[in-house]
Order: sequence, then structure tokens, then C-alpha cells
Amino acid sequence: MSGESLLVRKIDWGTVLDHIPAWKADQVIKLLNLESLKQNPDVSVIVLHNVPSKKLGRKDIVKLYHYMVSEDEAEILALVLPQITINYIRDWKVEKHSPGLPEKIVGKIRCPETTCITNVEREPATPRYIVMKEHGVIACEYCDTLLEIERIPDFLVG
Amino acid sequence: MPSSISGGRGGESPLGLKNTLAGRDIISCRDLSREDAELVFSLAEEVNSGTIHLEDTLAGKKVALIFVEPSTRTFQSFYVAARSLGAEVLSIHDPAVSSIAKGETLYDTVKMIEGYGADCIVLRHPARGSARFAAEAAAVPVINAGSGSQEHPTQALLDVFTIKSRLGQVDGVKIGMLGDLRYSRTIPSLCYLLAKYNGVKIFFMAPPLLQVRREVELYLAEKGVTYRKAVEADEIKEMMPELDVLYVTRIQKERFPDPTEYERVRGSYVVDAKLLAYGRRDLGVMHPLPRVDELSPEVDKLPNAWYFEQARNGLPIRKALLHLVLGGAG
Ligand SMILES: [Zn+2]
Repeated sequence: MSGESLLVRKIDWGTVLDHIPAWKADQVIKLLNLESLKQNPDVSVIVLHNVPSKKLGRKDIVKLYHYMVSEDEAEILALVLPQITINYIRDWKVEKHSPGLPEKIVGKIRCPETTCITNVEREPATPRYIVMKEHGVIACEYCDTLLEIERIPDFLVG
Repeated sequence: MPSSISGGRGGESPLGLKNTLAGRDIISCRDLSREDAELVFSLAEEVNSGTIHLEDTLAGKKVALIFVEPSTRTFQSFYVAARSLGAEVLSIHDPAVSSIAKGETLYDTVKMIEGYGADCIVLRHPARGSARFAAEAAAVPVINAGSGSQEHPTQALLDVFTIKSRLGQVDGVKIGMLGDLRYSRTIPSLCYLLAKYNGVKIFFMAPPLLQVRREVELYLAEKGVTYRKAVEADEIKEMMPELDVLYVTRIQKERFPDPTEYERVRGSYVVDAKLLAYGRRDLGVMHPLPRVDELSPEVDKLPNAWYFEQARNGLPIRKALLHLVLGGAG
């Protein structure tokens, strides 16, 4: 019996984020700012931790019932968690989505440079990054500071 | 073509060059091309030699100086430059008594000063990224007069101008940068501007904690600039004979978590006659000033000391830049 059928039934409409490294589902929740959905009665978030996986040994799964991740969101997810698979579900039909890489990221990530203008209290400066995939970093467009892509989860806003 | 030209207005063109800087923000030396820099240099050179006077070319214009950090020299330099070009100066200098101390954001300060009719904003601010942010907030051009430890493009312009004046050209220059390369705002700007020239070679001489930031290295690599790093005193001495120019920056005690480490490092990064003896006789020594004790006064009398001339070049460079940014003819 697979972990999935053991734990939760299928959804008819929404997004399934699969192959998230085990215990990293919170990064997905932060990247998608899912807490902002708390007033939304239509959306449910189902989080599965430590599910057996052929590919990863153990993995997390996040099911977003009645929520379709946007292309922008999908791109950031794929950047930070390259193993992730994104499946859109419409009327039980599964459609696998392979997002491209983002060229820019706006908001979502705090600049690691403490003296950056985007970290100055009350200053209305939204952080903005250029993705330099070939160097494995993103660069703050305001202060030029580089952040390694694998360190992005440590700097997620929220 | 000597004599006083009230340059710019009425289509007069002191140099006969196209003004590529009119209305532009001067935020980062990454954004400046070699042609942009050479335009500023050509005009500054004429101003220096007295063949072109830019008096009153900015009459009727308002230049705002927002200095949210104590900086007497750069402030004075911009103030005198703007006034001598005939501009009115709106200044917010002392953050202790200004609205900034009362907690006003940079965004609001920029909006307010624009409301007073500023045609251009010169900004010194302790935050990295402040100049770009201000430029996005402002409709008028913003000139970065120092954005935290990030950049100081007008300093780099006067630095490269000094190198060009002394060596006749910038292409092929071999320059050592010594001291605090990590927190010095002049070092990235200087590197970004030098990267626009051919065959430049840079030697970064600093302790590991104060070595040049990675984004500067990436930029140099992308532009095909050769650079090397030296950490130990012996390596520095080994590099000395190769250099045309030695650019010295201040090492500040507060950058070191451990004061004994600072004491250890300090001695290895002092420029005196003894260190210069390892270099070529015509090696030029530069320093953005003010200095503390990283540059011995005994160097002042040597022909190697370029730094007083370098400091004097601040005024003509800033005059030329203000003239060009505010739309004067090239
Ligand atoms: Zn930043």
C-alpha cells in the first residue's frame, strides 16, 4: 500500500506539489505565502510529511485544494526546490507542469544584507532579485548582494 | 578654443560631443560606459586647465544635496561645484536636526525635496541600495554620493581621471587595491569603472575578512578583467613591482570581531616608504582620503604621492558631471 493512499484521498480540483524533500513542506507554505489564505473558506491545504518515496526515500507532499499556483509561484518553487513536481488537477485529471526558471523575483525573499535599503524599517522598498542561475545565486537589484539559491529558504518573508 | 563659454545653453557645445549623460541617474559605475566616463573626463580636463568655464551654466536650476551621513568633503565638493555653476542648492545635511532624525523615510524626503523644485538630487545615505531606491522614487536625476558600503561612483570617476591624467591612459593599468576592500564603497565603483577599459589588471591586497565582495569578482570575471588576490605581507611585497598604481583604503577597527586580529592585520597594511621600496620608482599612490594611519605621512613628500592631486580632481569632476547630468552640452 503506497503512502499516499494510506494517508489521504485524491482531490478533484487544485494543485498537488509532490517530491518536496522530507520536512521541507514549510518552505513551500512560506514561498506561496499560504497563510494569507486563512480568510478564504474555499481553500484547504493538506500537508503530508515523511511519505515513503521511490525517488527521494522520504518526501513531503502539499495538496492545495481549490488553489492553482500561478506561473510566478511555480517558477520560484522550481528554483528553490528543483526536485519538486507540480501537478494541476482539474476534474480529477492530472496535468504535470514543468515551470521555467524565473528571471526576476519580486518580494517573498528578505535581502541577506542587513544594511540594504529593503531592510530599513518603514522604507517602502520591496526587494527585487535577478536570478543568476549559472552562478547559483540571486542578486539584490538594490544593493547587489548575492544570495546562494540553496540559502533562499532561510530568507523567506513570513 | 579658449575663453569662457557659458556652456550648454542655447546649444553651445564646449567639446562638440554628444551629451550621453543628460537626465540620467548616476547610481552605479556598472551603468557607466567608457564613453560616458571619457565625456566627463574631457570636460573636467578643460575645466582644470581653464579653457572652459562652466560658470552659470546651471543658473535657475536647483540641486538638492541630501546627506544622511556625515561627510564633510563630498558634501563640500558637490556644494561648491553646484554653486560655482550657478545652481541654487537645497541641502539636507545634518540628520540630527533635519526631518530625517524625526523618522522621515528616504522615500518621503525625496518626494519632499522634489516638491521644492529640485532638478537633481545628490544623495549620501548609509544604506546599500539607497541611491537606486531614491532614483525610482524621484522623477529627476539622482547622483549617488555614496550608498553605504556599496558604491561611490563620483569618487571612482575622479580616481580614474587621476590615473588617466598621470599615466596618459587607463588601458593596461596594473593597480593594487590595499586595505579594506569589503566595506569600502570606493573599491566596487573603481573596479566597475576600470572594467570598461582594456587590459586592466587588479591586485586585491587584503586580509580574508576584508577581501573584495563576490559580486565585484563576478562582474570583473564577466567583463574579462584579470585579477589576483594577496593576503599575506609576503604576497603583497611580491606583487609590488608589477604595479603602476597602489590604491589604499582605510581599515576600520569596528570591522573586526576580535580586536587582537585588527592589531595583527593593521601592521601588514600600512603604506610607508619601506613598502614603497618594493615597488617601481614611479609607482603612484592613491587614497580616497581622509586617512587614519594606513598611509604614513612620510609618503606625502615623495613623488609617488598622487592623493592630494586626486582629491583636487573631485571638484572639476563633480562640476562636469552636474553640468552634463543637468543637460548642459558636451
Ligand atoms: Zn539588498
